[in-house]
Amino acid sequence: MQMMTIANELRFAWSARALVWVMVRREVASRHAGTAVGVLWPYLQPLLTVAAYYLVFDVVFSMRLGADAPTHAVGTFLVAGTLPWMAFCDAVQRGMTSLVDAGSLLHKNPLPPVLFTVRAVLASAVVYGPLLALVALAYAPLHHFRLGFWALFPLFALQVALCVLLGYLLAILAAALRDVVQVVGFSLSVGIYLTPILFPLSMFPQAWRWVLWLNPMTALVLGYQSALLQGGWPSASVWWALVVWLVLTAAVLNVVAARSRDQLVDWL
Amino acid sequence: MTPGGNGKRGDAVLAVQGLGKEYRLYASPRERFKSLVTGRAHYRSHWALRDVSFQLRRGECIGVIGDNGAGKSSLLKLLAGTLQPSAGTIERVGRVTAILELGAGFHPDFTGRDNLYFGGSLIGIGHDEMARLEPEIVAFCELGEALDRPVKTYSSGMAVRLAFALVTAVQPDVLIIDEALAVGDQHFQKKCVERIQAFRDNGCTILFCSHSPYHVRQLCDTALWLHQGRVMEMGETEPVLLAYETHSRLLSADAQAADDAPVPVLAASVASEAAIVSATVAGLDEEQVQEDAPLLPGPDLEVTITVRGRGDEQPHVGFMIEQTRGVGITSMVTHEEGAAPRRLPDGTWRIVLTLPELPLHSGDYVVSVYLFDHSGLVVYDQWHQFLRFRFVAPVRTPGLVRLPHHWS
Repeated sequence: MQMMTIANELRFAWSARALVWVMVRREVASRHAGTAVGVLWPYLQPLLTVAAYYLVFDVVFSMRLGADAPTHAVGTFLVAGTLPWMAFCDAVQRGMTSLVDAGSLLHKNPLPPVLFTVRAVLASAVVYGPLLALVALAYAPLHHFRLGFWALFPLFALQVALCVLLGYLLAILAAALRDVVQVVGFSLSVGIYLTPILFPLSMFPQAWRWVLWLNPMTALVLGYQSALLQGGWPSASVWWALVVWLVLTAAVLNVVAARSRDQLVDWL
Repeated sequence: MTPGGNGKRGDAVLAVQGLGKEYRLYASPRERFKSLVTGRAHYRSHWALRDVSFQLRRGECIGVIGDNGAGKSSLLKLLAGTLQPSAGTIERVGRVTAILELGAGFHPDFTGRDNLYFGGSLIGIGHDEMARLEPEIVAFCELGEALDRPVKTYSSGMAVRLAFALVTAVQPDVLIIDEALAVGDQHFQKKCVERIQAFRDNGCTILFCSHSPYHVRQLCDTALWLHQGRVMEMGETEPVLLAYETHSRLLSADAQAADDAPVPVLAASVASEAAIVSATVAGLDEEQVQEDAPLLPGPDLEVTITVRGRGDEQPHVGFMIEQTRGVGITSMVTHEEGAAPRRLPDGTWRIVLTLPELPLHSGDYVVSVYLFDHSGLVVYDQWHQFLRFRFVAPVRTPGLVRLPHHWS
């Protein structure tokens, strides 16, 4: 019975996908309402960050990584991890605040709360998905569209799924206790150092590598790096880690969602 | 989505069984978080509603009355589906529209039209259907060109007009309305009331929640009195309202007795609110109104009503005569007859109502006085059945009212 809570909610979100899509488009549009550049703004910011990495590290300084790194150009390496990481942070943070932000709407409309988390995460995905595709095209000389390149699609899909689950979990926790938002915000700003984004996994002390696997993005970033930089299919450990993270998050979310079901809207 | 009115009158459209809503009060958000994580809960529970059961049939109009905190809002939110019940079940048939708080959910940076489409999708009106409904909504809300301006440029009245036009664009099967219909200006208020009445005539079931017995009497066939989260009485409007009013009067009498002596400050703060100051019938000494109703001395009934208005707003006054058993005979309000109280030098308003040659038969009668706002929709104060009198008519035939007539 309880196992069904989260599955039911997601099933409902699926059946209301037309509404979700309207909400997503609106969410993206609302972020640039009243600006001149309009819909480009959400895309420009991450794009410019990525471009800056490339210019600074690869064009201006031409920095090089060690021999056992997946690629030698530092900027190219950084971008492959940074962009998915930015997507992750954006989606999780938007998902986390989605319920509190939608409080007044939820008080007045009989809509299931999960729709708002899904909306927030998807609104983030429609920004970062195309950006990732753009970067993937620019990396064609590295991956040559070999088989591994196509792993990008399942990777991104899994990332979005993980963000929905994690975002919803955090959103419920944040509804109960607003401090969660602060703690997670801090964790995300530290998290980039606990993910093999700024350094190849091989440069991290062997004895402490297990710490990196406590971070759901480690598997994803390794997957993206191997797909983008080498066109190699990500190793089995990447997929396994992702599955474990998804199942674990779903299980915790299921418990928390069942416990808060009657009262969630009262807390907003 | 079944449009209303296609079912037969008499089908149950809303069935509530053993409905309860528990609010868990945690000592702090930290406790709330802890209970969420550990599953062990330390909270005080407050049941805002308990064991509420009723059934509404198509075309019925029910008024929910009760003191503040009696659970009216919780009931409405549960029925609207924005809150989850802690106990019991709600069965709804067809489209349920709730007018809880209008205008919320509009994005200030988008135009009215854009918000219309988005708001529509939230209440189940798709893009195509909205395109079909749009002209009618635009006509109803009377926003004109403002519809293509961002909502942040709207006055609160404009936003509410748009919201009302939107939520009532499609005739629901059940309409849930919360509290005073203070929507926009007088002209628009009238339109709103007309639209709601049209829904009702088309067989829409209406659940209407109000402090105002006047509105409940006007609109509803059935009343539900909630007291401390439980159904105190439910049934035909008049008996339930009478019971509720008796309860309220006792309550306010108690409160008055308790408050009477010590705090003159209270009187000052009350003085700023609109209220009936006095209502006297010429020739009657209302002090001695006890068991025996006093006799009206002359053939005319002359009532002098003095009220305190709200600021400079022109108040309106209503008057009603009933038989002592509570059967209404006639009532009259100034705002429908082009009359208005005059302002006195001390800021209060006064009007004298005269019923010449009171066309009633002999009997015991009871009168009530009401104070309305300028639009006549908000009841600021009421003295319900405050004065009884006996009247001896110059005719000996039996009857109740002497109607204008002639023999030929």
